[in-house]
Amino acid sequence: MSGISMEVFDRGLFAFTIASHIILVSMSLGLIVLMVFTEFLAIRRKDSHLKALLERLTKVFVISFGVGTASGIVMAVELVMLFPTFMTAVSLTGVIAIFYFEVFAFMLETVALIVYVYYADRFRSPYAHWAVSILVLAGVLLSAVFIVMVNAWMNTPNGFTSLTVGPNGGVAVTGVNPWAPFASASAFPEIAHVLPTVTLTGVMLVGSLLAASYLRARDAEERTTLIGGLKIAALLGIVLIVVAGASGANEVTTLFHDQPLKYAAVELDPNPGPNQPETLFGSLSGMTIVGGFGIPGLQSALLQMETGSAWAPGLSQYPAADWPPLWIHITFDIMVLGGLLIGLYFFLYFVSLVVLRRKPFQSRLFLYSWIPMSALTLVVMELGWVTDEVGRQPWIIYQTMTVSQAANYSSGLLVPGISIIVFYLLLFPLTFYFFGRIFNGARGANARSGPDGESAAADPGVHA
Amino acid sequence: MNGVFEINFAIFSLFIALYITEIMGSVLLLLFWKASRAAVLPYVIPVWELTGTFGALWVVTADFAYPSLLLPAAALFAPVAVIGLIVFVIRNSSISYAEFILKRGWLDEEKLYKAYALATVVVGLAVLMALSALFSGAGVDLAAGSFSFIGWVSTPGSLLFLLGTVLIAVGAAPIFYGVTTFRTIVLPCMIAGMGVSVLAYYLYSPSLVPGWMLVPVLLTLLAGLLFVLSGTTARIVSHKVVFLTVLSLIVFSLQFAAYPTLADGAIPIDTVTTSGPMASAYVVITAIGALLIGAMIAFLLLMARRPVRGTREGIAGGRSA
Repeated sequence: MSGISMEVFDRGLFAFTIASHIILVSMSLGLIVLMVFTEFLAIRRKDSHLKALLERLTKVFVISFGVGTASGIVMAVELVMLFPTFMTAVSLTGVIAIFYFEVFAFMLETVALIVYVYYADRFRSPYAHWAVSILVLAGVLLSAVFIVMVNAWMNTPNGFTSLTVGPNGGVAVTGVNPWAPFASASAFPEIAHVLPTVTLTGVMLVGSLLAASYLRARDAEERTTLIGGLKIAALLGIVLIVVAGASGANEVTTLFHDQPLKYAAVELDPNPGPNQPETLFGSLSGMTIVGGFGIPGLQSALLQMETGSAWAPGLSQYPAADWPPLWIHITFDIMVLGGLLIGLYFFLYFVSLVVLRRKPFQSRLFLYSWIPMSALTLVVMELGWVTDEVGRQPWIIYQTMTVSQAANYSSGLLVPGISIIVFYLLLFPLTFYFFGRIFNGARGANARSGPDGESAAADPGVHA
Repeated sequence: MNGVFEINFAIFSLFIALYITEIMGSVLLLLFWKASRAAVLPYVIPVWELTGTFGALWVVTADFAYPSLLLPAAALFAPVAVIGLIVFVIRNSSISYAEFILKRGWLDEEKLYKAYALATVVVGLAVLMALSALFSGAGVDLAAGSFSFIGWVSTPGSLLFLLGTVLIAVGAAPIFYGVTTFRTIVLPCMIAGMGVSVLAYYLYSPSLVPGWMLVPVLLTLLAGLLFVLSGTTARIVSHKVVFLTVLSLIVFSLQFAAYPTLADGAIPIDTVTTSGPMASAYVVITAIGALLIGAMIAFLLLMARRPVRGTREGIAGGRSA
């Protein structure tokens, strides 16, 4: 296999692994956020249905954690194996320090989860036990924050004077400041956007499990249990989609300032100018946009609001060899339109609940539509990452190191890499099958719970 | 003395000690499922999560400590590492499924726990192979950037190294899990394992058997002796925290195999460890991390030792370990 195609293989393998892993990350985030709210309400209202729901969500979380931990380690090792020159640069700059802190966050999540799940019966106060769920949440959130910091650094690298790659892949760095990468230019805007979107995806996915279970449920107790969770998920969904939208607008502004070429590619602006249309879909032929349709002046008007300047950068300002693949314009448009559709869905829910005083969560239409909406949220999140990563090409570290320089060209990776892909194609459906099976398998046990909602899982009969 | 190396090797020792206890439990689960599950599962079920996290901690700190080793490591061990990772995912998935599975059809708790145990042993053997290759240079061609499995197997010492480690693990398993039924195998396995391991080190290179190798040898044998001596000494040595501490020290004392040189003298450690402001950051962050992780582990042990509050069952569902 030629060198070039091994580079493509490295890219493809890592893209596949990370795209799979992020689904589990979002599930974990969504689950723990729901668990924190569910437990608080269960204690405060002495609600046995919510307690029963919490037990079921916790079991799914443990599996999500187990598989997610392993796939996270797969990624950490893959980074070294597939892009050793990149990881050498990471290890010679302060970026590795971010990874180090990320492991502390991961340790917090692990220890808190062990206490939360396995030593739940050692607490006097239910609120003390609930506080441990917040520690788990803090661990998950901090892990996500640190990982996004690394990605932000790849987009806007800092903390060194010069970084050069030798012909044999050796890296030389001067003027290192190990602490600077914690505050790279795009770190905060990226964290502010990624956290709500990933959490929203997780909440939607867990919500779809609740909705699907509700639609299959026959007894009223079970439905009451599931509706409790759906109400919390919908409330969180409303808050998160608003935050995701606002922070997304801020992200575009950051692109405009720090990665103008990526901005021009995402917006498909062939030339710079002060009166740019908002082009939806379409492609570039030569320097002319074909297909799609434009809303005159809208892009510049939005830029004026966000940045105070209507002038937008254009592709023609940069050598064509540096352009990222322009299909990221399409992925960006689908992402934004998908986000708007999800926003509309929650807006209608809100209107129905607050203005019309209806009970939308009891509507089968609402429940049925939740499932495709959760799939759309997942697509939107994945496309967001695709836009971000492909938009940085050909660079792995923006304007510092290309992917070609970073890749491992050993063909020995081919068979193990394909094995990972095949394995993941089996593992992920199986894991999601288990989520459903474990979640719904505890249903009978919950039905046996007393009115005070005592732990059904403590009953040894629940286990095999 | 290289501070960066010492810190990294200390973290490595903690990770390996935790992993060895899982391997010991896995061997018992595979060979004596019914007799050992009650002793092994209450430890393994919460701890498997911690072991993986310590593994991640070591991987990151190794990336931090040895930036110039990453390129050769990728060239040498990429295929082995990727296959090892697949088995590691199987390990995590099967035990997390096993914890909550409801028997339906052919798949049940026993099969999943045994899948976990098998995966744990396989990953352990792969790690041992990579470590012995790194220490001794067996199967490693640094100039070509390649690792040969055949070359590793055919090097005198490699298979003995695996055999010795497995014998020690089998001998130590009843100690750690307090399974007195198997006390008769403890000393024979440990003595045989020690003998075979020392021979393996010697065959790799006589320089890998310095005089102070007696320290890990005697500590290991002492643990076995205390277990068979009396009930009181057996209880002391079987205490999880005591055993883990001693095991970490034993692994830490094996650092002569990696320092001052790796791969049979081909890689001087001092030339590949990080330096300058990065080394300072490494020490500072490790100090912060040691405090944080120390506090977390103290919290975990505190909760584990707390008596069960009878009035309230675990809201979160899992079983107490």
